[in-house]
Amino acid sequence: MAFFALACASWIYLLFVADGGFRELFRGETWRQAGEFLGQLAGAGVEGTPTFLQWDEWLEAGALAYDTLAMSVIAMGIAGVGALLTFLPAARNVATGELAASASFPSRALYYLLRGLFIFSRGIPELIIAMIVVFAFSPGILAGAIALGIHNYGILGKLSAEVVEDLDPRSARALRTSGSGVFQMLAYGILPQALPQFLTFLLYRWEVVIRTTVVVGLVSAGGLGREFLLDMSLFRYTDVALLLIWYLILVVFVDLTTMFLRRLAR
Amino acid sequence: MRPSTASTTSPQAAPEQSGGFFRGRGFLTLLLVAALLWSLTSLSWGSSPVHPGGLASIGQFFQAALRPELSAEFLTLTLSSAWKTVAYAVAGICLAVILGFPLGVLASGVLARRWASRIPGVAAFRFLLGCMRAVHELIWAWFFVAAVGLSPAAAIFALAIPYAGILGRIYADILNDVPNPPLQALRASGASETKVLLYGRLPMALPDMLSYTFYRFECAIRSAAIMGFVGVGGLGMQIQLSLSDLYFNEVWTLLYALVALVLLVDLWSSWVRRYLTS
Repeated sequence: MAFFALACASWIYLLFVADGGFRELFRGETWRQAGEFLGQLAGAGVEGTPTFLQWDEWLEAGALAYDTLAMSVIAMGIAGVGALLTFLPAARNVATGELAASASFPSRALYYLLRGLFIFSRGIPELIIAMIVVFAFSPGILAGAIALGIHNYGILGKLSAEVVEDLDPRSARALRTSGSGVFQMLAYGILPQALPQFLTFLLYRWEVVIRTTVVVGLVSAGGLGREFLLDMSLFRYTDVALLLIWYLILVVFVDLTTMFLRRLAR
Repeated sequence: MRPSTASTTSPQAAPEQSGGFFRGRGFLTLLLVAALLWSLTSLSWGSSPVHPGGLASIGQFFQAALRPELSAEFLTLTLSSAWKTVAYAVAGICLAVILGFPLGVLASGVLARRWASRIPGVAAFRFLLGCMRAVHELIWAWFFVAAVGLSPAAAIFALAIPYAGILGRIYADILNDVPNPPLQALRASGASETKVLLYGRLPMALPDMLSYTFYRFECAIRSAAIMGFVGVGGLGMQIQLSLSDLYFNEVWTLLYALVALVLLVDLWSSWVRRYLTS
């Protein structure tokens, strides 16, 4: 298969052409450094109490975690509302009139426009979008949320448009032949089938987004990410460990919440 | 409708199939809207969110979209950094499969026959996989750079660890979902659980596992691209360099290359998935 050829080429390139640094993995020095780093995270060689044993530091980082959570929710709001408004015209069977709507030129043009938009916002990683967004927006939660929102808008839009394309068209056709208008058909024939799927995708993306908020925070936005950047640059490794703990708490919290919400969506 | 203890709403207000407003989609929608409103309160509304002059530079940025930098020299640079990104992604996903497959088998608990020996192993390995994938690949990359220094190997391992966490978990789920009757037939003819895995579960689960791996490969391309942030070469680093020099034309060339790459892998993976699952 083509993938194996590509895999071989990549490994040959990394091992022999570019200096991949794999040889250094097998030296004792590298492992010693890694061990030292882990020790520093756990608070070895620090004067005073490590940060993660101080209660007020916990609260301070908790406020940042709260901001991060808010950022992820705003991002999902932007992505969700955007996708909800545009996923119907971006489905091929709606745009080409296969579902008994009319196949006008504008609806086709809109289809290609939206699909192009999905591809771009999906193809560019959120970190790079964030770097661009901070040109216009002052750094903060909103800038990060916008960057995350744009990227996830593309993903959600594509996924939900594909759901509409794979739907059972019979109920929509039945509505259409019994005389309902285009909007009635979409609202009663298509949305009831597509929305549960949409909600599932939304929740699934939220799990991903909460992990990515930290990364977006690195370039611009507030929350745990910016503090992480600062502490890493200043070698305050016990602070980093505390942020990491809060980050894991957030991830687990969101995973549990979506597990509960997904049961509601079913 | 099942008798509901949680709600007294009429069936018209909550047309969900299994009883009660609080167990249905209406309630979920309400929760989501409430969450969104709550999150908006945490923004500081006082100050203007937009820079003075920020919109002008965004305008310049989008104008440059029509005039990407197309000199031969820059195109060669774009191609070579695109190749680096692909190489990191491929190497990362290979390592992720090598790491994730045994962990997935262990986390699925299919090798143990009795409950008592199965539960602790499953819990331990699922927890391990959860920890691996909870931390974002860029954070892993940063830890690697801080711990052992900057090299492509660091980026590849950083990519491989969270991806192994995801792949392992999905592999475990797929292995658990294999239909049981053929496996019972194997067991009845005296096969051990290892043999059941090799000759029963794996052949049935392989198409799904491969198709999910290919889907993850598409994500790996994007992840490999952002490794530029910690200083590992590739498209992401070039984008960052051009962006901080305000060479928007160059940024757009690189962005087009990245989007084309993602699109290409997307088409390839959806082709492979259709081939595997049909």
